[in-house]
Formats: sequence, structure tokens, C-alpha cells
Amino acid sequence: MKKLLTVLALLLIALSLFAAGAKEEAKSSEKIELTFWSPFTGGDGEFFDAMIEAFNNSQDEIVMKNDMVKFDDYYTKLTTALAAKTAPDVIVVHQGNMPNYVNGSLLALDDLVSKDILDDFQSAPLDACRFNGKLYSLPLDVHPIVMYYNTDILKEAGITKLPQSAEEFLAAAKQVKEKTGKWGLGIDNTTGTYKAYTLTRLFFSMIAQQGGSFLNSDNTKANFNNEMGVKALDFLKEAVAMGVNPNELDYDAAMNMFKLGEVAFYFNGVWATGTLEQTAGLNFKASPLPAFFNDGSCWAGSHTLAIPVQKNQDPAKVEAAIKFIDWMTANGELWAKAGHIPTRKSVAEKDSFKALPYRSDYVAAAAVALPTPSTPAWDEVYGTSSDMLEAAVTKNQDSKSALAAMEKKVNEIIASY
Amino acid sequence: MGIPGNKDLRDGILFSLPFMIIFALFMIFPLVFGLIISFYKWDILSSPSFIGLKNYLDLFKDEKFYSSLWHTLEFVLITTPVLLFLGFVMALMVTGKSPLKGLMETVFFVPYIFSMTVVSTLWAWLMQKDFGFFNQVIKLCGGTGVSWLTSEKNAMWSVSLATFWWTAGFNMVLFTAGIKQISKEIYESAVVDGASYLQQVFHITIPLVSSTTVLCLILQVIASFNVFGQVYVMTGGGPAGSTRVLVQYIYEAGFKYFKMGYSAAMSYILFLIIMIISVLQYVLLGKKKD
Repeated sequence: MKKLLTVLALLLIALSLFAAGAKEEAKSSEKIELTFWSPFTGGDGEFFDAMIEAFNNSQDEIVMKNDMVKFDDYYTKLTTALAAKTAPDVIVVHQGNMPNYVNGSLLALDDLVSKDILDDFQSAPLDACRFNGKLYSLPLDVHPIVMYYNTDILKEAGITKLPQSAEEFLAAAKQVKEKTGKWGLGIDNTTGTYKAYTLTRLFFSMIAQQGGSFLNSDNTKANFNNEMGVKALDFLKEAVAMGVNPNELDYDAAMNMFKLGEVAFYFNGVWATGTLEQTAGLNFKASPLPAFFNDGSCWAGSHTLAIPVQKNQDPAKVEAAIKFIDWMTANGELWAKAGHIPTRKSVAEKDSFKALPYRSDYVAAAAVALPTPSTPAWDEVYGTSSDMLEAAVTKNQDSKSALAAMEKKVNEIIASY
Repeated sequence: MGIPGNKDLRDGILFSLPFMIIFALFMIFPLVFGLIISFYKWDILSSPSFIGLKNYLDLFKDEKFYSSLWHTLEFVLITTPVLLFLGFVMALMVTGKSPLKGLMETVFFVPYIFSMTVVSTLWAWLMQKDFGFFNQVIKLCGGTGVSWLTSEKNAMWSVSLATFWWTAGFNMVLFTAGIKQISKEIYESAVVDGASYLQQVFHITIPLVSSTTVLCLILQVIASFNVFGQVYVMTGGGPAGSTRVLVQYIYEAGFKYFKMGYSAAMSYILFLIIMIISVLQYVLLGKKKD
């Protein structure tokens, strides 16, 4: 009995120590302290950290504490926190993931953000954050897939004008291969640390370039099993079958090959710019995704900033969170250093943004960027399509039957939600 | 119990309470909760709706479920025999007369203490097709690079190879313990009778460690059925989903696609499969010994 009492006493002491610690922490900060979760552990993480620091130094009312979460685990962690209503004060959500969260997990921002601020946003990325007529987040950036090309290789191969169509690209790639022995195209097509999403992104873009769409207008059925889909897939397959694009190339390897100057034309999201421009000895240029078919429509993602619904929502914290989001988007030129395209009109006008190389070359892509289909099934559709396109391209499957199988699978997935 | 003044029962309960509370909270509760939500459609954020057996019925129509189950089975069939064999051979080496046996024991066991992520990332780098160490060496020797992780033919074997290196040491420890329990006299009398080393291994060691073998087999089958980490980190389930194992699909369905009920239903099917196989192994192999 005596022992039990001792144990209980020890436990009590330990508990009170914890409580005291917590109290002290609360006393020491008079500023409003906000917590924040972001998934930027790739090349863009350092730019983001610098931005948070700049925000904290720019004023003395709010202290923002940023927690980086590994991208793979980000949405798992976020979803469980949102379910428990213990998420941080501000979060990053990709526009494409928002349909999962707009039913009560995120705060509607319509009455919280002033009209002046809203008017400064470009309308396409802002409208993409509206669901059922309400605004649930503000876009921090748009990050479309763009083209990077190695100017040294093109010069060596004697290509003076950028190819203008799918056929011209294959021809140019062949010319590169024949004249320089290097790879013409570097489209990653297999799963490594990352799925072959580039294939889906290009396929998605190319269907839109022909006037079609990946899913039908109300996102209930696949809409790619047709002539447009066949043309898009044929191009992706042909590049590998002709031997101008490496087979079984994973995402990291594609990036490395372009960095090492072994690939002429490389396709990736704008987030690659920050890393590529730091590569010594690499002479390259960036451009919006070319019009392989009729126009330059391109797949794009968008990082948006949102405020989660809390158990006890503190209005002071919400107000501070809005200030933070306003500052982050209004200083988008800092974030553009990571390659992303800012969403505020005033940022596009700033000299400090215009002075950044490469970004202005593809800033026009934001206007033709395609929003992610608004369906909770999208993540599974996206992943599964990438798997199936990977098989079709790496094993040179018949386009028609591959697309028929993919259509069936995608329709099954959408029906299961 | 029942004796006046004897407080064994009360003390017993008190002492086991800390464990029991944690066990109930983190084992029993999730088990029951998982079973319950397997009858619901639930995306974590909205309220669950009861759909009866639909998750289980859907599952038997889902090609991806069957292919994932098959990849798991493939992994079990590849890794279990090899890991048992390697563990046993390693145990023979470290219980033998070699002067290096202390060093060998350490070398064989060290990989096992690394975390899954470290091992998998390391091997994924070694086996990377264009820049990996293995292919660089092969190319230096004049060969052409192997698609270790990027061809459907090789990927599962490559993951298995990493797994051999990583976990064989654990089986070695179990077998070493089993071998050390065998009485020296048996070997001595065998030597007097002129038995060769191989005869000793086949006629003394193998029969007498059979209970350890059964234990290793059961543990190994369960561990291999639960494979996830190595595959997820090394191939991401690729190429084209050809190495996606069941636990990966369970994880993706639950935490990427927010189909909690469906994910729980698959977990219960996996649980049933492992339970049936373990019981069968125990009954069939355990009996022989008696």
C-alpha cells in the first residue's frame, strides 16, 4: 500500500510539472502565436522557410510557427487532425484535394477577407477554391507543367526553332539523338520514389489541347477513350518506341539526366526551376507547355492556404491567420523563387518578380492552366491512371485496348465513392 | 485466492493494470472498432453510414484486391524458404568451430537493427537503374544495366533481396538458440561412430531444431504477409502496380483515398488469412513432433 502511494505521489508530481511547463509557455508570449503545417520538403522548402521568417520579421503582432510534414504523410496527418478538430491554425491544401475537406473541415472565408484583397487575385485560381458557392481557401500559387529545354544540346543538334506540334517534337527528338547521341525527350514513365504522374499530366493536357477533357463535365465518367486519347497516348508511346525517350525512366532519374545535360526536352512542374537554375553548367530555358495539338492547355496544381475549423475557434487567431495569408500571397515573388507562379495581380507587376529569370517565360501558362477535376475520387483516379499509362508506355501496349481498360477502371473507381 | 489476508489477486490485478489498460486501449479497442467500421462507409471527416456487408462483397469483385493479395503471396513464397535457409546456415556458421564466429554473428545480425526506411532507401539507391551503384559496377565491367526495380520481372525479387540482407539475422538468432540447446554428447557419440559433418547436420541438427524451425516458419510467414515498408519505399508498388502488396493497398484505401470501411474490411480478410495459415501450420507441423 505504501508503495502504491509513493507511485501515485510521483505521478502527481510529474503531472504538475507538465502543467506548470504549459502555463509558463502561455504566459511568456503576448504575441498571437499561430501554428502552420506545410508539405514542402522538396526543393521549395528552403524558400518557404525563408518566407515565414520574413513574415515574422515584418511585424510584431503575430508569430508563425511552421511545421514541415513529409509530403507522403502530409494528407494522412492533416486528415486525422481535421477529424479531431485539432489541426493547426493555417494549412496548405492542394486545390485538387479540397473536395475532401470542404464539408465542414475548413472555414468559409467569404466574410473574412476584404473585397480589395479578393479583387487582387487572378480569377481562375481563386474561383477554383470555391465549392458550392463558398470560398474555402486562397491560392498561394499555380504550378503548371511546363517544358525545360537544354539550349546547348539544341544548338549542337542544329535545332534553331522550337517544335510546334507532336510530330515536330518527335522529329526534333530524333534529330537530337542522331546528331548528338543524347536523349531527345526525358519524360519519366515509371514508378520510383514517385509514380509516373508526368505521363498522366501530359496525357491530361494533351486531351484538353484537342478540345476534350479527361473526365466528363460533371466528373462522373472517364472521357478519354476516344480519338483524342489515342492520339495523346500514341505520342507518349512513340517517343519510347522510337528510342528517343529512355524506357523505364523514373522521376528522379529524369530530373538527374536533364541536370547532367543528357536530355534535350524535359517536362515537369514549375517547381523544378529552383533546382535546375542552381545546377552549375546547365544552360536551359523554360517555356509554357507547347501546343502538341491545337492549344497550350496544361495540367496544373495549386497550393492554397486554408483555415481549419477548430473545436474552439479563437476570432483573434482567425484574424491573424487572414493577415498571414494576405501577406504570403501579396509577397508571392518570394515564393516564385521556388519556381511557382504567383496568384496576385499586384505581384505580377512588381519589378522584383519581373527580375526573376525563367518565371516570366512561363507566367503565361497560368492563364491556360487546367483545374483539377473536382471529385473526391480524383486521387485514386490520378494514381491508377498513372499506373496504367506507365504499363501502356513502357510495354508499348495497344492504345485502344489500354484506354478501354483504363476507362473501365476509372469509371469503377468513381462509382465507388 | 480465498485465503484470508492473502492479497495476491488484488496485487496481481494492480500490477498487470498498466499493461492491460494500454493493451485494451491500443489493441482491443482498435480491433473491435476496425471490425465495426468495416460495415460502414466512412471517409473520417463526415459521419459514417452503415452499409452492411457491401465492403466485403465489393472486395471480392475488386481486381486490385486480388492482384495485391497475389503480390503478397508471391513475396511470402519467395522470402519464407530463403530466409529460413539463410538463417539456418548462418546459425550453423556462428555455432561452428570457426575462429571468426564472433565477428560473423555481428556482421550477420547488424542489418537487422537498422530501420526499415534506412535499409530500403539504401537498397533503392544501390539498385537505381541509371545512376545506382550496382549498375555502375556492371557497366564498368562491360555489361548492360539491369532494371532492378523498374521491370515487372525483377522488382519483387529485388525487394526480396534487400529483405534477405535485412532480416535473415533475426532467424539466425532463433536458430542459434535452438542449436545451442542440443546436447554436445549427441554430436560426440556421432563423431565416435564416424559421422561426417553433413551427416551430423542432417541427422542430428535439423531434426533436433525442428521446434525452432516451426516457430521461425510461423513468425516468418506472418512477417512476410505483413510486408509493406520495403516495397513502399523501394518501388512504391511499381512498376505499374506490379509489386503493390495487400498492406499497401489497405494503407492507400484508408489514408490516401479515405475509404476507411473498405480498408478495414481488407484488413480483416488479411487477418483471417494469416490466422488460418498460422493455425494450420501449428496443428500440422506441431503435431509431428509429439
